[in-house]
Amino acid sequence: MGPEDLRKVLRLLPPGELREEILVGLDTPDDAAVYRLDGERALVHTLDFFTPIVDDPYRFGRIAAANALSDIYAMGGTPLSAMNIVCFPCSLGMDMLAEILRGGHDAVHEAGAVVLGGHTVDDDEPKYGLAVTGMVHPGRMLTRKGARPGDALVLTKPLGTGILATALKAGFLSEEEMEETVEGMAALNREASLAALAAGARACTDVTGFGLLGHLFEMLPEQGLACEISISSIPLYPRTQEMAAMGMIPAGAHRNRDFLAGRVEFDVSMGEVDRDILYDPQTSGGLLVALPPDKLEEFRASLPEGQRWFRIGEFFARSSPIIKISA
Amino acid sequence: MEEVVDARGLPCPTPVVKTREALQRGCQRLEVLVDNPTARDNVTRFAASQGCSVEVSEEDGMFHLYIMREGGPEEAACATATAESPSPSGEKRVVVLSSDVMGRGEEELGRILMKAFLNTLAESERRPWRLVLFNRGVLLAVEGADTLPALKELASRGVEVLVCGTCLDYFGAKDKVAAGTVSNMFEILETMLVASNSVTV
Repeated sequence: MGPEDLRKVLRLLPPGELREEILVGLDTPDDAAVYRLDGERALVHTLDFFTPIVDDPYRFGRIAAANALSDIYAMGGTPLSAMNIVCFPCSLGMDMLAEILRGGHDAVHEAGAVVLGGHTVDDDEPKYGLAVTGMVHPGRMLTRKGARPGDALVLTKPLGTGILATALKAGFLSEEEMEETVEGMAALNREASLAALAAGARACTDVTGFGLLGHLFEMLPEQGLACEISISSIPLYPRTQEMAAMGMIPAGAHRNRDFLAGRVEFDVSMGEVDRDILYDPQTSGGLLVALPPDKLEEFRASLPEGQRWFRIGEFFARSSPIIKISA
Repeated sequence: MEEVVDARGLPCPTPVVKTREALQRGCQRLEVLVDNPTARDNVTRFAASQGCSVEVSEEDGMFHLYIMREGGPEEAACATATAESPSPSGEKRVVVLSSDVMGRGEEELGRILMKAFLNTLAESERRPWRLVLFNRGVLLAVEGADTLPALKELASRGVEVLVCGTCLDYFGAKDKVAAGTVSNMFEILETMLVASNSVTV
């Protein structure tokens, strides 16, 4: 669902019960909910599932699990256990379902967590994901809010998965041509999360359905802070621009654009294609991390060899929260 | 005669796929009906990327997109057989550059010749409809190439410069393109098939 629809629905709910154990709940929406057990430990809860984004069932399973685990990492947590959520038409055959689950389990295993069980529903279209439980120290969790003027903004995966998945669906691209993108989506955000914690990041979230700009906007408080990003520093998966220029923009990108109307200032030289890419909904996108510029070196040094990261912008003081995109 | 593609109620990216199918059948003019702004924008952009002009009109939340191939005839029927290639009335000269040098043998001489060739082409009255750059030819359009001024001049005079995206990826030069538009095999093939005359350098 788009951010506007979701907000309307949540507004209809009765206010959540207030307990001091709830560190992050419905009242303070974030990547995952956090429930404090004691002074040292808090549980992190999240749930995510979706329809196949690639044809290969094993890789779909991996991507769905990496995407679900990402919310734990975005809070600075460590995944402990996971439960499968499966909607599946039996006509597709049990071998395919087994492959999806194998992909999911492999990703959970790589995260150092275990799959404990799950639930299946017969459905017309396959859907797969997981509910994940993690652990975090209440004093060291990473939330969306907390960035300050002068902080650098870092992104840890390229953009373009929504556009490229649309192109795959349209037959403009084959799955082989999307190799780098598929691998990017299947990769865990664990290393990026550990580096953010090690470097003392001030805020963190992951880029998923609301696109880069939608999730970046959620990092801004109601007043006092804005962010400027440079379009030339935004990393893209191969062929994203080409496919965007051929009209492969998913409907979610338009919803995201409408939701952020009036909150984004583009440099006049920027074309429609580049703008749309910044609204593109991502599957298993990277982390967005805010940290003081003098901590960037520590962040870089904490990442393993080969792990990509990109400094894409900077926060600055401003009365109203907006995102500026410079050329 | 004009083909109508009714893409109302179809999820993204189906309206674009249906538009592409119609253009591939050789339709010179077609009307696409869609019922949401996403489909309107995507089909418009796709048609433009295929060298078509698009006019949009809105009526009761429904969009009519009138798509016409640039330089296409006023009246042209859609070919019924998919194998039949389109036959545009206007001359469509295509120049294909598959290398960054002109001719084989002396490479340095080949570079000088290629630059001279593009400069001369840019000044010529008989300018082509499109330039297609692939393999090492894409290097003519990246930052630092001495052929950029000529390519930009050609582009400013209405010549479409298509640069192969796969090739740019191969050379790691995707973010260094400084002239023309990044293209793909579908469009390159389309260009060569509809060309009335193509010259490979």
